[in-house]
Amino acid sequence: MKQRQNKVRKWQKIIGAILLLLAIGFFCLQMGYLFIRSSHLIDYIDHRLFYIINIACMIFLASGVFLFISTTRRLKIIGSGIVLLLIVVQLIMLFNSNNLIKSVTSLSPDRKNVLSIKENLQTTEVVYYRPHFGIIGRPEERLLSPVKGDFKVEWLANDAAAVTYQTADNNTQQFIATYGDRGGGTSYYYVGAEIHGTWQGENVQLVSDTEGISITTDGESEHFEWDDIHQFGTLAVVLEKNNEAAWTVSLDENFQVNEDTPERQNGNITLYQATMNDNEPIELTKQIE
Amino acid sequence: MKSFVLGISAFMLTLLTIISMFVYQKLDFFITSPPGFSEIDDTTVSAPGGPAADALRPVDYEASTSYSLQNDELRLTYNQGEDWVNVPIEKEQLFSGEYQGNKQELMEHSYILTEDRAAFLHAESSNQHVRSILLTYSLDQGATWETSEVTDAFPAMRFRKVDFVNDQFGYVIVSGDRTMSQEFSTVFLTHDGGETWEETNNSGVSRMIADGGFVDESTGFLSFGTIDPAEPMLYVTQNGGDSWKEAAFHIPEEYDHVFVIAETPVQEEDQLTVLVDQGPNGDYAGGFVKGKFVSEDNGETWDFLEEVDPDETASE
Repeated sequence: MKQRQNKVRKWQKIIGAILLLLAIGFFCLQMGYLFIRSSHLIDYIDHRLFYIINIACMIFLASGVFLFISTTRRLKIIGSGIVLLLIVVQLIMLFNSNNLIKSVTSLSPDRKNVLSIKENLQTTEVVYYRPHFGIIGRPEERLLSPVKGDFKVEWLANDAAAVTYQTADNNTQQFIATYGDRGGGTSYYYVGAEIHGTWQGENVQLVSDTEGISITTDGESEHFEWDDIHQFGTLAVVLEKNNEAAWTVSLDENFQVNEDTPERQNGNITLYQATMNDNEPIELTKQIE
Repeated sequence: MKSFVLGISAFMLTLLTIISMFVYQKLDFFITSPPGFSEIDDTTVSAPGGPAADALRPVDYEASTSYSLQNDELRLTYNQGEDWVNVPIEKEQLFSGEYQGNKQELMEHSYILTEDRAAFLHAESSNQHVRSILLTYSLDQGATWETSEVTDAFPAMRFRKVDFVNDQFGYVIVSGDRTMSQEFSTVFLTHDGGETWEETNNSGVSRMIADGGFVDESTGFLSFGTIDPAEPMLYVTQNGGDSWKEAAFHIPEEYDHVFVIAETPVQEEDQLTVLVDQGPNGDYAGGFVKGKFVSEDNGETWDFLEEVDPDETASE
């Protein structure tokens, strides 16, 4: 019996030590983050992660201590109460922080890319963060602000996310976060030039030529000149009219950039309307001319 | 041991709680607009009581010498953003030609920015059609500026590169007038620090240019084939651009169609070396390994030396 108790005790100590090490790891992560965040201009991709990591650290710490060292029942109750109280405090601060910052995070369908946007609700700044080390990101671009309402996120491909939002003056805007490339990553190319030709989808036709891009939906045609077409990364262009986003055209994953012979382009493109209403991306196929 | 573990645990809990309450909960802790990152658009929609105009921020906040394109003006800093000097070029002129980026950072290779020389390649105006190409430069950290005309007429630029090999000798490589996958490219040289420029003889190649450069006043290179090439196409001049001829690559059979786009060769001791990358469709060893070639005859023929992994190529 005593041997069994000793064995249980031994395992408790091992698990306790592992939990303590995990807690110390989380603690070091938090301290390291606080120490270098200003100098390296990094931040958690979602501001709530700070509190979640704190809570995880506290749970691991309390569990580890209780398993690793022998304590009295009274001490365990007091300790658990204190940790529970501190966790509640963290949760309150987490919910309060949502009044300061709004974080929008979205995982790509293949779970390899994360979209991160933060809105400072006091200054109204909206900043797109590019993840660098998993949960850590760096601010990369500022979006038009102030923003009215929520952000609508749609992944047009595993490496391209469309963020649709409305600014305070009721203009619809679209920002495209891109994480990939269709040309091997060796050189910049122009999406507009690469999709030169006629593309057909269900009740939609897109024509890209030297004058710009024209989109015909249900018999109605809209023309966008190149000055009103803005490229994001090397994966998508946003077509604007009167300083408002109207459409996004993105390159599908099966699209292979072939700059030397763009007329023989294969693969699909996706057309996505800039609207806050529910809408689905439309897949287009190149028409043989 | 028990006291130590309890003490450390109490310390960690206390510190995490204090930081959460008194540091992380403060609004100014949430840096959503730190210095050194670009804005998607300068035309931020204004709102009553909205944020005031931003302070100038260098594009590269770690470098002592950097620039800013905020407020549609090009400014330089030589002390990490403490002081700024204006560059007498309109922002749109810097992006003239075939450019569709967000104009928040200068185009790579289109400028030189060191403590001794600031030089910016730009068009006479932002007009997309035929315009002269100018180089505006300063050798005294922006106290005085000179503008020289590289050429008086050139179609809308696509590729553009300016660099100096020494104080006096420099080169400009530009391409333009692109139609699908064909374009015109040419080289201009200066032997007087950028005051005057003369065009070299043309290489006669109309494929899209990928890179180029000179290693000394006589020897220069132009690399063609931007996307999906089958083999490297590198043209060399050994007489300062009077004539150009295609360099020969001796590619081992196992690397045939693997290493296909040449970068600009560099001088390494008494020989020239060039890295050749795999192009857009390369998937050999992950697609990022490059082939290193050496030339013993000043760039006419190139022999394979070794594979160079991505880490090494990144550091070069």
